[in-house]
Amino acid sequence: MTTKQELFQQLSDGVVEYQEDQVKEAAQQVLDEGYDPLEAIMDGLAAGMVIVGDLYDRNEYFVPEVLMCADALYAGLDILRPHVPKDAAQVKGQVVIGTVQGDVHDIGKNLVKMMFDVGGFTVHDLGRDVPLESFVEEQMRTDSEIVAMSAMMTTTMMGMKKVIQMIKEKNPDVAIMLGGAPVTKDVADLFGADGYAESAGNAVTEGIKMIGRLRELRQKEKKA
Amino acid sequence: MAELTPKERVMRLLRKEPIDTMPFFSGMGMVVMPGIKKAGYNFPTIHTDPERMAMSAIWSARLMGFDCVVVPFDMTMESEAVGNQISLYENSEDILYPTIPKKIWATLDDVAIPEEMSTRGRLAFLPQVIAKIKKEAPELPIGCWQLGPFTQAGQMLELDLILKGVFKQKEKVVAVLDKLTDMIIDLGKFLQRSGCDYITLREPGVAADLLSPRTFREIIKPRLTRILDAWESPKLLHICGQTDPLIEMMNDCHADGLTVDIKNNIAESRKKLGKDVLLMGNVDTYPMTCDENTPKEKAIAHIQAIIDNGVDAVMPGCDLWPAIKEENMLACVETTHTYGAQPSPAVGRL
Repeated sequence: MTTKQELFQQLSDGVVEYQEDQVKEAAQQVLDEGYDPLEAIMDGLAAGMVIVGDLYDRNEYFVPEVLMCADALYAGLDILRPHVPKDAAQVKGQVVIGTVQGDVHDIGKNLVKMMFDVGGFTVHDLGRDVPLESFVEEQMRTDSEIVAMSAMMTTTMMGMKKVIQMIKEKNPDVAIMLGGAPVTKDVADLFGADGYAESAGNAVTEGIKMIGRLRELRQKEKKA
Repeated sequence: MAELTPKERVMRLLRKEPIDTMPFFSGMGMVVMPGIKKAGYNFPTIHTDPERMAMSAIWSARLMGFDCVVVPFDMTMESEAVGNQISLYENSEDILYPTIPKKIWATLDDVAIPEEMSTRGRLAFLPQVIAKIKKEAPELPIGCWQLGPFTQAGQMLELDLILKGVFKQKEKVVAVLDKLTDMIIDLGKFLQRSGCDYITLREPGVAADLLSPRTFREIIKPRLTRILDAWESPKLLHICGQTDPLIEMMNDCHADGLTVDIKNNIAESRKKLGKDVLLMGNVDTYPMTCDENTPKEKAIAHIQAIIDNGVDAVMPGCDLWPAIKEENMLACVETTHTYGAQPSPAVGRL
């Protein structure tokens, strides 16, 4: 019998080394051995992604590697998540996410989406090339706490400013997160956003920090 | 001080011959709303009509004092020419460039570049655009551009397929990049035959915040070099995003000049490259030329700092966003012309 720690380590290593099959096998074994799937997500898959973020920060990994790690993570998540009891999710938050109209690139958006998925958020993914009004409508419909928008090109990021204005007018408490290659911290500030992710990669770092915080919270709760 | 036309100024600069003062020009989009309005058109219509494209470009340069025109404006012409549909967003009130919402090629194996690309779709009317500009505005140099093979691949296929393919299907990615490299060489020659005065190879998809410098060296650089070797001078290489780790490799790709954006540390790059390399950049486009809350003085100081850092020409780091703050845009151009009166590292003064 493989111990829980060994399996979690295999999940983490599989994510870091983008070994989808290894992750799938370990995830299945977690279920077969009767270990807690949520614990496996947080201390295995998410822990691996935190290491990936560190490798990215140190310029050892770049976006292609991170994308492959994300595939490995999802391979595990798809197996484990259906077995997480609904009331066990750590965060009850909801997020609306999409790439603004005029932009058909969605790599950064999908990476950030993954972070929310892992964190247990309910994600309303509008996809890409999304008309600006749809962000507002979806936020209102779902009463989501967070709206995350991405634009990969300078030529499309202007749409985000409009969306922020429209949402903040109707509901000033919504937290808005911007990301994408051309969006600098200055631009995010100028547009009135609450959060900012510098690039697809930086979105990874930001998202991973978020996962890191979730894990800390969970560990504190366990001790308490 | 001898007064040169913008065309004389830019063409001499690109040959590193002495000029009267520093130009404000670009290899990327330079079309702005005041010019489009002056020409009398709506934004979605200037991408599909040669007359409208030419006149919007000319009026943008004339009203703002730019030292060039750059055509075309959008990145989808080649992808459209291989058979993809474009979205023009004709009913939107916002400024939206054409995009390819759905790509016909689903895998790396599907990529097959048709013969005679320059006769297909909107590419076929570019000679008319260039001829019109030459006739109406002979004082302005005409810049044309091609996306590099990696970035172009992202216009023709899903980008994550290419990015992951670099590791998972390297041979197939390389084969696609080679096909696109051949296409880019041909289209660049076509633009040069049609009369463009300088050409820019734009490869923003390979910046060091996306791809590793090692991948750049092994996969990207040989193809950029092959393209630039095949084109006539003057020819520029532009990469936006993080380029500090790449700048020396960029300089080995055989371009006549390098252009970078705000993420590049120009002063450091100048140290690495030495005085003789034409280095251009790196206007922070949105905050300095668009944002209504940026005071003119801040934009002026930004341009002065760029010149002090050692550029040979001031160039926006990316396409200009068309909805400019006119006051700041004009101040950026004027500051370049006045503050740039002294020789730059690679180019003397008359």
